[in-house]
Amino acid sequence: MTILQTHDLKKIYGTGENTVNALAGVNLEVKQGEFVAIVGTSGSGKSTLLHMLGGLDRPTSGRVTVDGKDIFSLKDEALTIFRRRKIGFVFQNYNLVPVLSVYQNIVLPIQLDGNMPDANYVESIIETLGLQSKLQSLPNNLSGGQQQRVAIARALSAKPAIILADEPTGNLDSRTSQDVLGLLKVTSRKFVQTIVMITHNEEIAQLADRIVRIEDGLIVDR
Amino acid sequence: MKVANRKCIRRLSMKSMKATGTRNLIAIFAIALTTLLFTSLFTIALSINDAIQQANFRQAGGWSHGGFKYLTQQQFDEIKTDPLIKQYGLRRFVGRPEGPPFLKSHVEIGYSDVNQAHWMYCDPVEGHLPVEGTNEAATDTQVLELLGVEPILGSEFTLTFDVDGTEVTEAFILSGWWEYDKAIVANHVLLPHSRAQAIYHKVGIGDSIGNDGITGSWNMDVMLGSSLNIEGDLGRILTNHGYQGEGRSAGNNYISVGINWGYSGAQITDSLDAATVIAIVGLLLIITLTGYLIIYNVFQISVSNDIRFYGLLKTIGTTGRQLHRIILQQALLLSLIGIPLGLLMGYGVGVKLTPVITSLLNGVVQETVSASPLIFIGSGFFALVTVMISCHRPGRMAAKVSPLEAVRYTEGESNKKMIRKVQSGASLSKMAWANLGRNRGKTIITVSSLSLAVLLFNMTVTFTNGFDMDKYLARNVASDFIVADAGHFQTGVFWDSHRALPEDVISSLKSQPGIAAGGRVYGKSSPVEEFVTEEYYRTKNGRWNDEETLDHAVNFMEKNQQGLLADRVQLYGMEPYVLDKLTMLQGDLSKLSDSGGRYVAAVYSDDDYGNPQMDSHWARLGSTVTLRYITAYEYYDPNTGEILNPSHIPDDRPYRYRAKTYQDIDYEVVALIIVPYSLSYRYYGADEFVMNHQTFLQDSDTSNVIYYACDVRDEKTADMEAFLSDLTNHRMPQLDYESKATYAAEFDAFRNMFLMLGGVLSFIVGLVGILNFLNAILTSILTRRRELAMLQSIGMTGRQLKGMLIWEGLYYALGALTVSAALSIVAGSLLSNVLASVFWFFTYRFTLLPLLLVAPIFTLLGIGVPLSVYHVVSKRSIVERLREAE
Repeated sequence: MTILQTHDLKKIYGTGENTVNALAGVNLEVKQGEFVAIVGTSGSGKSTLLHMLGGLDRPTSGRVTVDGKDIFSLKDEALTIFRRRKIGFVFQNYNLVPVLSVYQNIVLPIQLDGNMPDANYVESIIETLGLQSKLQSLPNNLSGGQQQRVAIARALSAKPAIILADEPTGNLDSRTSQDVLGLLKVTSRKFVQTIVMITHNEEIAQLADRIVRIEDGLIVDR
Repeated sequence: MKVANRKCIRRLSMKSMKATGTRNLIAIFAIALTTLLFTSLFTIALSINDAIQQANFRQAGGWSHGGFKYLTQQQFDEIKTDPLIKQYGLRRFVGRPEGPPFLKSHVEIGYSDVNQAHWMYCDPVEGHLPVEGTNEAATDTQVLELLGVEPILGSEFTLTFDVDGTEVTEAFILSGWWEYDKAIVANHVLLPHSRAQAIYHKVGIGDSIGNDGITGSWNMDVMLGSSLNIEGDLGRILTNHGYQGEGRSAGNNYISVGINWGYSGAQITDSLDAATVIAIVGLLLIITLTGYLIIYNVFQISVSNDIRFYGLLKTIGTTGRQLHRIILQQALLLSLIGIPLGLLMGYGVGVKLTPVITSLLNGVVQETVSASPLIFIGSGFFALVTVMISCHRPGRMAAKVSPLEAVRYTEGESNKKMIRKVQSGASLSKMAWANLGRNRGKTIITVSSLSLAVLLFNMTVTFTNGFDMDKYLARNVASDFIVADAGHFQTGVFWDSHRALPEDVISSLKSQPGIAAGGRVYGKSSPVEEFVTEEYYRTKNGRWNDEETLDHAVNFMEKNQQGLLADRVQLYGMEPYVLDKLTMLQGDLSKLSDSGGRYVAAVYSDDDYGNPQMDSHWARLGSTVTLRYITAYEYYDPNTGEILNPSHIPDDRPYRYRAKTYQDIDYEVVALIIVPYSLSYRYYGADEFVMNHQTFLQDSDTSNVIYYACDVRDEKTADMEAFLSDLTNHRMPQLDYESKATYAAEFDAFRNMFLMLGGVLSFIVGLVGILNFLNAILTSILTRRRELAMLQSIGMTGRQLKGMLIWEGLYYALGALTVSAALSIVAGSLLSNVLASVFWFFTYRFTLLPLLLVAPIFTLLGIGVPLSVYHVVSKRSIVERLREAE
């Protein structure tokens, strides 16, 4: 089942001579439960693509369908609500809320939606990610790897349709990177989560089920 | 090691300053507001001081520092060259017109040179001082009015006056005139020197000095380098030329000196009492604190925002001291703009407020606004000090930054392992609360500065609200109306027969409609004495005089056979209406009402709170007091017993005086009473007795009325007020009156002054608080731009985000209101005692009304400020904000 689909996605920055074709017509399809890595050099347009997939930025033209819904047909406010229900983000620099405890960070998206967290589910995420002993800590007291694990937990907590990971290991050393990626993959299997990850690191990309290469705003190879 | 790196540091500080536009604006504004507060305070304080000093000078008759009296021309020429004298003026007294129309005025005719005339306020508003060799003269409008001469230059007038015992009549042509100033005791008619000399020759004084030792002498008024030690300087000048100012007995080289008491009387330290000093110091502290709260906060916030930048600078080798200097330089540069701005605005505010205050001081104080450079130097200095203090901690924070930590620094991070024991999740309000906890210092300071304004406002209202009009009126107003000579209502004027209220005025008052009751009070205008023990005399007067003065006085006083001292008394002869208004302490007044009975009531004093002071009089119930009514004194030499001629007592001869013709009458003290201030002579210093009017008229053989007091039926009060206002302003300006309404108006004006001053102060402090609040919200949103974007990226809607920010704003507002309410309650109960002891008419009434007034404003701010700041921030897309500052 296709969970994510783009249709001739274009993003053009600037006007006239300064025009930059960040995305020049991307067609991408991701199936449920798939772990896809999008690889490209800096400036290739991979970050722009990820922002489009997550509904953070609007395309110049083209469509993005998540779980059968054309996300850009939604108004900003509705898009935000759609995002917190269907899309989980993992950022390179974790982006945790410094004043909230680990637990509060993890359940934040659920609470923003006005729901009570599914205790069993959240507990199993926490267990899987090995965060049981850190639940009451503030993010700044954790190591980078621990913070990224919290970020993954947060992304999973709302049971989104897809998780978008933007260089999730970019700030981590190689050993910790391996741990985090391993966990990402395990959770993807365990909770049948679709994951789209962008990276410039070929080695990391190898862990994914499928690798998509992007160059000058276009998908190459396949 | 000294390296020439100042320039580099300066460049760094300039560059980093340019990057912080908003902060600079807020900081400049904050510094300007602080300076404004200082400047207006100093302007008001110095203006009042100036006004008081001016009033003193006018009462003293001039503003020269002092002078040498009764010199010969040779002495004059000798002394005037002294280097200690910066400027000198010459005055030669010619004579005084004493007959009609000058019976009630003190007019002096004489020559004054330009300096001296100027120092005596004799500056013609039209025309000029008389020209030598002409028959011109210059004088003031009152003399002209008394003479019936229009103030038109060239008018002719004649004066008959006494010159050292010889009466002369001279004609003059008006060369110039100035406005009459009722505060100045003497009126002057100024002649040219040539005319003065001609008159001296005419009466036979010639170039010498007259029999009175004054006429024809040369008097020198001087301005010295400074007014700090006038007495010492004058003494040194005399010593320099071989004279002394000690006394005739110390040698023949005596020269009499005069010191302008206006200077010593107007020193700030003298004229200010402890309460005023405390008030001024308190205000200075509040202003400093207000300024500190915001300037500190602005810099603290800016340093913590730029902490990565400082960390980076440190990594590449900038020392802590240099970072400290960068902060300080920025602060000084901002002060360079902020302080002059504040000085200007503050002076404007001060100038506007000063008249409000001076109008409430003694009537003779003219509106003066000081433009002393001291105001600007002082305010600038205080403002700069405040800025320096405020920057100290932020500077140290930047200096101490550890390069590694700085790079990792996010607001609110602490080294302590912080554990949150919250199992429940995060709600918007909880997140907002947690956000305020990130930078506790900033939050506390912002809340305090907001609270301070509310506290001040609340205290102002509590304070003015506590002014109890009923208490005030109850004490001050014994009758609806009191009519008397204008001098009776002025401080420093002693009542005498010249100031008696004419009988025809009283009868016209009595015939006014609506008079319910009224009565005269007679005063004794010729001397009356009682006999008291030396011990009592010393105790009573010891309050105001030192031992030496007392010794001198006791030595001088007449004693009777029992060794008792003859001391002056003040007598009242009261009609029943006024007798009924007295406060009874002991005994009863019924006997006093017996016409012709030899009974008196002894007058005790009370303090402002109405507590009688039982040591304020010697007489007890049943005591007998012998009053001596004196019709003539005689002067005698205590050593030889020789009787002296009082108008020609040689300076070097000791003398005493004693009653020559008199009548002693015994009275029984039947009551101890207090005379309410408004019904009294309005000055103290002698024992007082009250008798009924018949006894008084019969025994004293005088019938001078001090005042007439009456009550008027309510519906006629306005008519009476109008009648008296017309009477005293137009028909008989020498009279004046007091009414319940005057007191009520005075009271209101007094209360409004405090309300206005407190209001303005609270407003400005409030402005500072709001500025601080704005800055706190602004910076907290700006620095969290990325975090907020991230919250949106994980699904926080704009509404929720705004909700959270509004919660933050409301917490500030709520915090400020709670803190100020708590402080108001504490401060109110503490201050109420102090205030009640300073202002006797103060009744503490608790109020939080101002808080309720302020609450909606704060709530609106708490909602509005975050919303509008967020509005600006949210114009950029989430992606842009996510990327920035990485």
